[in-house]
Amino acid sequence: MTPLPGPWVHPEFRLMERNRAYCCAELCVLADRIRAASTAPTRFGVGGDSVATLVASLMAADAMNSEVVLQRRGTTVPLDLGVTVAPDGQLTLQGPVFDTPGSFCVIVASSGTTGGPKLARHEFARLLARIPAEPHTEARWLLTFDPSTFGGLQVILTALVGGATLIADPGAAVPRLADAAIRHGATHISATPSFWRAFLLAMRTPPPLSVVTLGGEAADQALLDKLCEQFPDARIGHLYASTEAGALFMVRDRRAGFPASWLEQGIDDIGLRVRTGVLEVRSPRMMLGYLGNDGPPVSQDGWLVTGDLVELAGDRVVFTGRADDIVNIGGVKVRPEKVERVIRAVPGVFDAAVSARPSPITGHILTATVVPAPGADPDATRLAVRRTAEERLSPAERPRIVDCVDQILLTAAGKKNRAAVPATPL
Amino acid sequence: MPGTGSALGTGRIIVELGSGMTLAQQPIFDAIVEELSTLITDKGLPVPRIEAETEFLGDSLPIDSLDLATLLVMLERRTGHDPFRDGFRQFSTVGQLAALYVP
Repeated sequence: MTPLPGPWVHPEFRLMERNRAYCCAELCVLADRIRAASTAPTRFGVGGDSVATLVASLMAADAMNSEVVLQRRGTTVPLDLGVTVAPDGQLTLQGPVFDTPGSFCVIVASSGTTGGPKLARHEFARLLARIPAEPHTEARWLLTFDPSTFGGLQVILTALVGGATLIADPGAAVPRLADAAIRHGATHISATPSFWRAFLLAMRTPPPLSVVTLGGEAADQALLDKLCEQFPDARIGHLYASTEAGALFMVRDRRAGFPASWLEQGIDDIGLRVRTGVLEVRSPRMMLGYLGNDGPPVSQDGWLVTGDLVELAGDRVVFTGRADDIVNIGGVKVRPEKVERVIRAVPGVFDAAVSARPSPITGHILTATVVPAPGADPDATRLAVRRTAEERLSPAERPRIVDCVDQILLTAAGKKNRAAVPATPL
Repeated sequence: MPGTGSALGTGRIIVELGSGMTLAQQPIFDAIVEELSTLITDKGLPVPRIEAETEFLGDSLPIDSLDLATLLVMLERRTGHDPFRDGFRQFSTVGQLAALYVP
């Protein structure tokens, strides 16, 4: 039998999860139990509520050329699973799986550029190629991303490969994580710009950070400056990555955007180009493909359309938004159109427009403009919209401000003007 | 004007309140307290005592960063003023936020 853990795991790796410490050997015992659940290669389903079981599932799948599906909280994957691993390590056998690719792969849910959520299959060897190989056993990483997302996986793998300590408390709000960072002496943090802003607001004494990484949203100059001021000795960089393309590049010069020269020369072995204002990338480490499709959504010559709008500003390329209707709210990708559909179905609502409003804290928040049905009371309608949003939408998706108006303005093309400010609030 | 004898005639009267806030910041402080109370009441929670030293994302207020983002939009609508026009600025307490609106 293949020994546990695989050679990519540094034996000094430690996990501090909700004040419980795990050493590498303990995680291997967990992994061994998970591996014993199946004799043939299979597909493990594991959620993000326990990093310990997630790490053990990765170790087990590696040892038996299996797949791991990272399941996001509150979502189900349309995929046959061989074994599900509960947060407490309990195993449930689902049945045999025959369509695994025969190599160790990790499947991550993506919001996708069109349509609903998609499942991106990554070959583990390719994921690993982008993780720094040099040991950094003194490092103490704070996990701020949901462990089941691409960003979370990156941080977990970085700590595993480097033999670092990983501080995790999945689902905890920013103040609790800020507390954990200080209590456990975090030295490395990778987080979304929205997390960093909330972190700066919540922390009383700054932890002694030596590495500050931003990712998942565009990093703006004001925030970069603030972080440089707060952590003058830290290595500060913003990372550009996507679930589809994997980790692409890190910008370390403490300036927003990236050098325009990279469009000509590429960066590392990544190609970058701009087509009709949208950034396209070419990488040797893309995902293998979406499940159910043949390959990644790329052109014949290998370019992937990111959907990120960019502009040239002097010697920099800066991010200005999205080409599709996706809005980034605190690092969560949200579709205003979906929210609009939910609200339009609320009794007492005649029509609704949902728009994103820039926020210095979370990047954006959603606001809704609602036309009450004839005879419906505006206050009662507003309340009904709030209640429905709380029941049916995630916190980032909920419109935070609901205005009632007598009509929604349309653009010249007859489309709903999402940017329009209500002319006559009721 | 109470307690400001020395400042008279300078064209600018600054009255330090006990909390380190100035008298000119009182209206925006009151506005923040009112909007915060609405936010918390809408969540169906009791409104705790809010003072200049109260931290937004500490343990004292039952709000998260999305609520804080909402508060800033409500304040911009109410005052017509957005101190974050040029990006993120740091603040932790209610008094510090008030000072961003009325320096």
